[in-house]
Amino acid sequence: MSLLAAIRKLRHSIAPRSGSDVEEEFRSTLDSYQQDLMGQGFSAEEARRKARIDLGQPAAQNETYRAAIGLRVFDELGGDIRYGLRGLRRNPGFAAVAVLSLALGIGATTAMFSLIYAVLLHPFPYADADRMVNLFGLQNGAETSFTWTTISKAELDDLGRAAPVDSVLGSNFSHLEITGALPEDVFAIYLTENAGTFFGVRPLLGRNIQPSDAENGGHSVVVLNHRFWQRHFGGDPHVIGQTLEMDHSPYTIIGVMPRSFAFNDMVEVGDVYLPISLIANVPNLPYVPLIKLRPNVTPAAARATVEPIVLQIAKQKLGRLPEHLHFGLQPIIWIFQENTGHTLRLLLAGVVLLLIIGCANCSILLLARGRTRRHELAIRSAIGAGRWRIVRQLLVEAIVIACAGAVLGVAASYWLARLPLLLSPDSFPAESFIRINGTILAFSVVLALVSGILFGLVPALRLSRRDSAHMLPGRQTGAVAVPGKRRWSVLIAAQVALTLLLMATAATAIRSFLGLMRTPLGYDPAHVIKVGLPPHTKGTEQWDDKTREARVAYLEQIREKIASVPGVSTVAVGADATPPDAGAASSFQIEGSGDLEKPQAGVMLVDQQYFAALRIPVLQGRIWDTDENNRGDFIAVVNQAFATRYLSSSNALGWSNARQLRIPDLKPRNRYQAASAQSTAWRQIIGVVGDARNDGLEQPVVPTIYLPYTTLIKPYAEFFIRTEGEPLTYLQAIRAAIASVGSDQQIATGGFNGTITLNEAIERDPQYRSQRLFAILFGVFSAMALALALVGIFSLVAYSVAQRTTEFGVRLALGAPRKHVLWVAARIALVSATAGIAVGLAVDSFLGAVLAHWMQNTFAVRSLFTAAALLALSAMLACLWPARHAIKVSPTEALRYE
Amino acid sequence: MTKPVELPQGTLEMLILKAVSLGPLHGYGILLRIQQISGERLEILQGSFYTAIYRLERRGWIKGEWGESENNRRARFYSLTPAGTRQLKAETAKWSDMVSVVAGILGKKADEV
Repeated sequence: MSLLAAIRKLRHSIAPRSGSDVEEEFRSTLDSYQQDLMGQGFSAEEARRKARIDLGQPAAQNETYRAAIGLRVFDELGGDIRYGLRGLRRNPGFAAVAVLSLALGIGATTAMFSLIYAVLLHPFPYADADRMVNLFGLQNGAETSFTWTTISKAELDDLGRAAPVDSVLGSNFSHLEITGALPEDVFAIYLTENAGTFFGVRPLLGRNIQPSDAENGGHSVVVLNHRFWQRHFGGDPHVIGQTLEMDHSPYTIIGVMPRSFAFNDMVEVGDVYLPISLIANVPNLPYVPLIKLRPNVTPAAARATVEPIVLQIAKQKLGRLPEHLHFGLQPIIWIFQENTGHTLRLLLAGVVLLLIIGCANCSILLLARGRTRRHELAIRSAIGAGRWRIVRQLLVEAIVIACAGAVLGVAASYWLARLPLLLSPDSFPAESFIRINGTILAFSVVLALVSGILFGLVPALRLSRRDSAHMLPGRQTGAVAVPGKRRWSVLIAAQVALTLLLMATAATAIRSFLGLMRTPLGYDPAHVIKVGLPPHTKGTEQWDDKTREARVAYLEQIREKIASVPGVSTVAVGADATPPDAGAASSFQIEGSGDLEKPQAGVMLVDQQYFAALRIPVLQGRIWDTDENNRGDFIAVVNQAFATRYLSSSNALGWSNARQLRIPDLKPRNRYQAASAQSTAWRQIIGVVGDARNDGLEQPVVPTIYLPYTTLIKPYAEFFIRTEGEPLTYLQAIRAAIASVGSDQQIATGGFNGTITLNEAIERDPQYRSQRLFAILFGVFSAMALALALVGIFSLVAYSVAQRTTEFGVRLALGAPRKHVLWVAARIALVSATAGIAVGLAVDSFLGAVLAHWMQNTFAVRSLFTAAALLALSAMLACLWPARHAIKVSPTEALRYE
Repeated sequence: MTKPVELPQGTLEMLILKAVSLGPLHGYGILLRIQQISGERLEILQGSFYTAIYRLERRGWIKGEWGESENNRRARFYSLTPAGTRQLKAETAKWSDMVSVVAGILGKKADEV
């Protein structure tokens, strides 16, 4: 109602009088005049006629009124728009090709923009997310090698009192187990009780954690993550007030967070959020701080105040400070900008190229169609339309096409924007979810207008030229040369060159992705599944009550049960040993080295079966046996990289004869870990195994020491199970085997410890994902670009052949060889496509270095030439296919039109 | 019979304002009054007449209201607004200035220059 009123008011302010009002007034004047004329002796009919001749027609009066009050431009624009739409309806083929060309470009660009908007501009749902910073430790200026810094409660409070800090959130996370129902692994995040106000996110249901939840050692309340709520409760809206039993304790559900809230996606998204006071009595509980700065505090100022506090904390913790240790504050968005921003910029460049190619296509189509419209435009110009008026009409028609393309494109972008998220989920904040909002719509409208003007201007200027008027008397004489040849050629050449650029980029991306897939792994991931086993922390089979021997016995019992599953060939146990990214760095001492030298190597805790299960070859010596495995001490196996770096005769450190090493840090850190008697003692190096990827697919293999897992039992165990055939089909049987040992022993489902086949683990490698993203998306972009360019060439040749039917008829009648006619028909397009490929090759070789840097891999000349050859071949086909019609022209038929 | 006079560009609006200033008139009445005052010497370009009226109304110099005409028909009567009164005064002053200057120049004899 109010909207209607508003529209009425707007209409009134634009044109205060209605058409009928104006007409009625005019009629009354007309009537009075007519009366007077009759009084002067005119007959009724004569008077009526004379009145109309002198004053005008009443029906046209509203137009006069609107022109008088300055609405003419809008009326004309409206007319142009209607005319443009009618033109599109009359030429459905032309309309479809033009609109689709643009829809592709605008859709892809809008999709990419909405991704950039979601990831780089507004990824977090938190209030004041731009003021939230993480604490990072930086050593030796290596800004990318940050480590999580945890602090104590007192230190957290110190930090919160610092001047530039608004508030601090402390968190801790652990795995809990749902009890009283089917066992299920739950990732719990404990939050300081200021969480509700700190995040400022309104819960979907109920309330967030609030300060009063800290009372009496913490209320047993829980807030659910949206995904967990959907998964476990089926999105039940009446879940508030119900009880969730975890680790045999009941918790009251007080709230459900909205879907966009996925704290903390840097580590793992929590399933449930709990008050941290519930675990505050754990000695030395580490808090992960998240700092919210006061408004208008610069990061530099904040850092200057916060760093001394943090350095003080670090000094107390470490005894002495490592040299060059600095602490920095980084906005929470930083990591995504760093990792994904570059990818998105590259993809945006790709879609913008696609859009330009689509625009060039529309220009070509408009120019080609313009030939058939010269007659119409000549008439318009002859009856008084100015050049500007005709340019405006043609531009409006182009914008009509662009807007139709934008409507389709925006609809398509809704799905297109999800593609990168599907292909590379970890590259984007879990909280950023893609939607079309006002900003994005505005972006696409501007995009449509800009591209409409971009592709409409050249044809409009060309077709509105005064010499068009010469076309009026002759109408389609047929034998005239194709006008605007040069513009066509330039457009085709530009289109082809840009397409080649995209294709070469795609070829590079695909080649490097294939290269990555062929990287020697050093192990055999096929048919191996990793099953993660979270420990019981409470209840009957409580992990921390067990001795080391009991834990080993428990795991070995499970191992034997799994091994007895038919179809399972090898079962190995390990901890943090899942390639391609496994092991933790630790310093070690080697025989003959001084106490002060502390070289670093990866340490992997596995059992003797691990090498067989993953098919890692033994190069020298042997692997430990079962007894040695149970004891855990005095032995170690190293990988080839370790041997080459530290043990070979050529190494500079002179330890070539060393056969022993020790790892001083191999001690239990909390009650969940248990070490063997002599875990830090000297160990004999009994074997050398082949290098298996342990630092991602592209990084060189880190020198690594393999130790029996029993030497330091961690709460998390991983089973590596080699099966005959597809390992996932054995999962049910494996679960049953595990349940037969501990009936309520669940297996980990998600997170970095989850159950996963080793092939899936490779697919989760960030490098693999980003390379796959590039390969697929650029492959799609270049396929689209190629299709657009071919459509452009095809329609150009088809149009010009249709226009020049008579000419070809004459040529054939005069005895021109068919080959020659074919050449004449296809010449412009062939020459411009060739020129485009040449320019493209030149630009690509010039851009090669830049591209290689962007794509973080080498730009291969070979893939460039493959792309060029493919493009040349398909361009030739697109030229010759429609040109064929030129030689099929029957001379008599063609001349009949004369 | 006196010769008809052609109207210079832009003066029609001034004449309409003058006609309306003498009392509310409908469109045809304005036309008649201008012809009457001018002694039937002005041939108003019919097509531009209503355009001028619409423009004056848009600018707020005249105001139109529906009423009843002398022969009991519905007609739209225009009257001068305060802004229109000011405008008419300004236009009149400008016009007489211009006329006197131009007439002064044209009236000069050769020996007066």
